[in-house]
Amino acid sequence: MKKMWLIGVNTFRESIRKKTLYIILIFALIVIGASKLFSFLTAEEELKMIKDVSFSAIEFFGALIAIFASLAAISTEIERRTIYTLLTKPIRRSDFVIGKFFGVSMIIFVNFILATAFFIGLLIFKKSPPNMDVFKTLLLIFFELILIGGITLALGTFTSDAFNIICSFFLYIVGHLTSYGKQLIERTENIIVKGLADMLYTLVPNYENFNIRDKIVVGLNVSWGYVGYTIAYGILYMCVALFIALYFFEKREI
Amino acid sequence: MAIIETKQLTKHYILGKKKVVVGLENVDLEINQGEIFGILGPNGSGKTTCLKLLLGILFPTSGEANIMGKPPYDIEMKQHVGFLPENPYYYDYLNGPELLRFYASLYSMDSDKADKRIEELLELVELKDAKRLALRHYSKGMLERIGLAASLINDPEILILDEPTTGLDPIGCRDTRNLLLRLKEQGKTILLSSHFLSEVERVCDRIAIFHRGHLLATGTLDGLNKQYQAENLEDLFVKTICAFDTEFAAKTGERK
Ligand SMILES: Nc1ncnc2c1ncn2[C@@H]1O[C@H](COP(=O)(O)OP(=O)(O)O)[C@@H](O)[C@H]1O
Ligand SMILES: [Mg+2]
Repeated sequence: MKKMWLIGVNTFRESIRKKTLYIILIFALIVIGASKLFSFLTAEEELKMIKDVSFSAIEFFGALIAIFASLAAISTEIERRTIYTLLTKPIRRSDFVIGKFFGVSMIIFVNFILATAFFIGLLIFKKSPPNMDVFKTLLLIFFELILIGGITLALGTFTSDAFNIICSFFLYIVGHLTSYGKQLIERTENIIVKGLADMLYTLVPNYENFNIRDKIVVGLNVSWGYVGYTIAYGILYMCVALFIALYFFEKREI
Repeated sequence: MAIIETKQLTKHYILGKKKVVVGLENVDLEINQGEIFGILGPNGSGKTTCLKLLLGILFPTSGEANIMGKPPYDIEMKQHVGFLPENPYYYDYLNGPELLRFYASLYSMDSDKADKRIEELLELVELKDAKRLALRHYSKGMLERIGLAASLINDPEILILDEPTTGLDPIGCRDTRNLLLRLKEQGKTILLSSHFLSEVERVCDRIAIFHRGHLLATGTLDGLNKQYQAENLEDLFVKTICAFDTEFAAKTGERK
């Protein structure tokens, strides 16, 4: 337990020292900041704009951070061979994987909090302090980011850096198109295609579930039940990803 | 009793459907407590493969490897082992003391003890003046030295070193040699690999000669020289390897 923590903290420290993630964070802050430049809008429309742009920026740049941090955590550690010095210490391979997951989650969390604080500061400055709906949206975005990180981490236990990046981004895009996919599936007649598509639909992480910002921004209500259900879905999916990571990493030759 | 042991240890790297590279083939080794044992062989002879199998970084195709009677994945055994990889890479955003402290924590050392040990080791490998320098600014020799310090952080009973002198200048080589001899006096067991004959000649009690993944000969230097009627290690090295290659060529020739 202690050793997972140590590995996690070291991973987090690496992200701070290496500074590559700062650039992504700075981009996120710039985009959030820029959203208030639309001063030709009415106050109400401007607020909508700020929320819409900020939610999207926190989600998109957060996803970039999650993917790159997770990539560095396992794939790069293997590619740079620093892992030899770790796995020859008295630690289990499972300590390593779960420790890395801890570390990546910390990185995601801190960057998320920084971007969110900036956004909330902006809302307060615009005399519209965040309400429960804003909180719900952010909560779901956070769990989505953790899930994205977990999936990239799992892929890293059995693929190369390059393949992992491609796969992670592919899943990120497809995972957001699932509702279109669902409609397409319903319209297909061919049973085999339908079966395959259904399978794909179930396997691909349904990131779009975590997206309630379109509704929130226009003032629609999203129930706590839905939020809770989606978080449970995220955690379940992440556990599966972690089990896959543990399974493959146990057998991985380096 | 042997403290490190391999039995018919074999590693085939599967690269494709029909492409298999022999990393190691039926190697039996026994390394005794308190000796310095050198694995000697040309590049690509399987030295690194053998050490990685012992440490559980690779898994054997067949056969087995043991350290202190424990399999390579045993956590308790690793507590007593130190390892220096070939051309070591470290977390280059850390400085020397930070790196050593991180490794010390993985051995569950308490922090007072770790701090003392880190001071000692930095003194020992002469990196005391570079305390605040991040590892990415280290020279190759400095990396090799911090690596040596890292492999000693837990005061290991067994030290496994993969080509410990490759990046070092002559003075660094001499210092490392003296350090190894001192560790031996303290009763440590040292297993090292090298392709520098003179290095091995000067420190090792016993040697093993590897070639193309096969163990060609093992024993004390004097014993082997007598057995193969060789004048010195170089002569011995060339003789065993040439003999193997001739036999190897004959065999593969037959098959064709
Ligand atoms: N990961 C790997 N995949 C395929 N072949 C490998 C791998 N690692 C080593 N080999 C091959 O195994 C043989 C032994 O390599 P190695 O143990 O690194 O030799 P040495 O350390 O004595 O130079 C070489 O022929 C090498 O090409
Ligand atoms: Mg080697």
